[in-house]
Amino acid sequence: MELVKRSILTMLVLLLAGSMAFAGGQQGSSEGDGEKVKLVFTSWRTEDIERMNRINSQFTKENPNIVIDFQPVKDTEYDAQLKQSLAAGVGADIIFLRSYDSGYQIYKTDSLMELNSMLPELKDFPSAAVAAWATPDKVSYAIPAAGVVHGVYYRKSIFDKYGLKVPATWDEFMTVCETLKAGGETVFAQGTKDNWMLYEVMYSGLGANFYGGEEARQALMNKTARFTDDNFVLAMEKMKELQPYFPERFEGIDYVTMQQIFGTGNAAMFMGGSWEIGIFEDLGGLDDVGYFAPPLAEKGDTLQYCFHVDAGIGFNKNTKYPEELKTYMKWLASSEYAQLYMNELPGFFSYTPGSYTLSNDLAKQMQSYVAKSVPTVRTVWEKLSAQAPSGNELVGEAIQMMYANELTPEEACKFVDDGLSWYY
Amino acid sequence: MLQAQKKHARFLFMFIFPAFIIYTVFMLLPILNSMKYSLYSGDGLIPDTFVGLDNYVKLFTEERYFSKFWNALGNNIKFFLIVTFIQNILGFFMAVFVTRSFKGNKFMRKLSFLPTTLSVLVVGFIFKLILNPYYGVFDKVLEAVGLGKFIIPWLGDPRSALIIVSIAVSWQFFGESVLFYSSGIDGIDDSILEAARIDGANIWHEIIHIILPSVLPIVGIVTILIFIGDFTQFDIVYAMTGYRGDPGYSTDLMGSLFYRTAFATTERGGWGTGMGAAVATMMFIIVTLGVGILLAFFNKKKEDMTK
Repeated sequence: MELVKRSILTMLVLLLAGSMAFAGGQQGSSEGDGEKVKLVFTSWRTEDIERMNRINSQFTKENPNIVIDFQPVKDTEYDAQLKQSLAAGVGADIIFLRSYDSGYQIYKTDSLMELNSMLPELKDFPSAAVAAWATPDKVSYAIPAAGVVHGVYYRKSIFDKYGLKVPATWDEFMTVCETLKAGGETVFAQGTKDNWMLYEVMYSGLGANFYGGEEARQALMNKTARFTDDNFVLAMEKMKELQPYFPERFEGIDYVTMQQIFGTGNAAMFMGGSWEIGIFEDLGGLDDVGYFAPPLAEKGDTLQYCFHVDAGIGFNKNTKYPEELKTYMKWLASSEYAQLYMNELPGFFSYTPGSYTLSNDLAKQMQSYVAKSVPTVRTVWEKLSAQAPSGNELVGEAIQMMYANELTPEEACKFVDDGLSWYY
Repeated sequence: MLQAQKKHARFLFMFIFPAFIIYTVFMLLPILNSMKYSLYSGDGLIPDTFVGLDNYVKLFTEERYFSKFWNALGNNIKFFLIVTFIQNILGFFMAVFVTRSFKGNKFMRKLSFLPTTLSVLVVGFIFKLILNPYYGVFDKVLEAVGLGKFIIPWLGDPRSALIIVSIAVSWQFFGESVLFYSSGIDGIDDSILEAARIDGANIWHEIIHIILPSVLPIVGIVTILIFIGDFTQFDIVYAMTGYRGDPGYSTDLMGSLFYRTAFATTERGGWGTGMGAAVATMMFIIVTLGVGILLAFFNKKKEDMTK
């Protein structure tokens, strides 16, 4: 039996060692330099580590006893990881939250602080942004942190070569496309291998001027309109009109490849989001990159501008350092933070009230359209994506099939409407 | 006698006990726990409302769920058949080839095993790079040899994407089956083969009458391993075509379906942890049944052959 005893002992030692290794991971947040308190900040933007560290070092300068440890998780794994860590009680203290239902699902796990009384500043934020991270009875669980816009990037040098001006209407846009194609240019860098861009950027961004923007979106949510209505089909038809200008074998081009194609100057245009400024800066610099808002259906129309509620910041209810967290929370809601954030991350627009100067020209251009537009958010993001199959998944899939010539624009809309039957 | 048996039992116990504990704690309990969760529903990671068999009823009666489930299962069966063909059949012939005596056969063996040492994610990434329609080298090679007109967006076309994914996995694990088979073939007594040759057997006779019957148990093992691997495969889909199994779920396998439904948010294709656990339980049942059937099949074959 001696051997049995010994093997049990060995196992126990191994188990103990294993559990200590896990515990080491948990204690990470409380270790630090002497008396310093470390707050863990998580997000889905792994590309921002250095930029966020620079922002947070300013906070530590003002509050020397608090260090912010920015620990983002890869975008596609973020939600699963967040849920798991919160359930296991080792969640980060400061948490990036997506808007509407996906943030709300995290709130429903009872792991987020309620901010209404803690942060009276919230009432000065734009109400639509606050609502994107609040319960139906208006309990706020995140500070609206950043919005993004969708439009079209272009190469100035290629436009100059053909004497092209930035198009204001769809007809002008089509003329630009035709001229570039005739000149043998790769008109768009767009591919359809990853379908989310097709919906989030193209349909929600460029389609909004055709389906009727915010008003139509509200009608869809109020069940007074259906996705098969003429305006939504029209927007889909407009998306289809772009297909001849995609690169060869666009079906196999994924998101990263399309960024590379445009970022290295090999395509004239890229339909994208404001978050891509930094990516293009890193790929080939911004000197040659311009931007214009989604072209209008008719001259004189009001721009329906997709200004999407992208990220809110929530706070872990079970934090070990509620006081320090509150100090950071106040700072996050301040205009000082907002200005730092927009300088470091051009293309992300803060919702914090205040007057700011944007240091990046492209970001300035993107923002310049806001004043003369009606803002809206992605078409089926709110409510219509709260269950399976989600509106987001459906529209992406429908457009992908449309570009694969499996569905007509009308059938694509029907596909979405059928899928949303759980909502109606 | 009794004393010896007792000693024997104790000896066995000592060997089995540590594995049994580890297996129970890290495999059996999580599986049972996951099965339990498939009977629950709720928003969080740990679903808290008991709903009985409701998740399963939904999975098989509501189109929005079953369409994805049957699609993934269908893809998985195709995936398994392609991988089995490449790894089992081609792997077997490759093994016959490298066990012949010629210069460089040892090197060939090692070469075929090399990809197996890479991670699936790396393999997926490499294939994705090679097949990239914009800067991938594969299309350029086809063009150079005059086959340009056959180029399609390999991973963007639903007709080719699943086949490519299957080839990538097969390429990686090809060496494993070569290893299994060649060690089986090496184990055959040389004098039997020699006798056959003297009797005038050619290579086909040799394979059908001597090699195949001797390595039949290995065929069973390899096929079962491929089956288990393929029906729980997730990484390759994740690396090559995303967790949706793009384009249009044409490369969605049981593993990616499970990952998406259990862990993604609803807006990105999640069904909630309870439904995800139901999918996982179905995977468990499919794998268990499949392995059972394959085992019975190969055992029967073995009996037939030895009769």
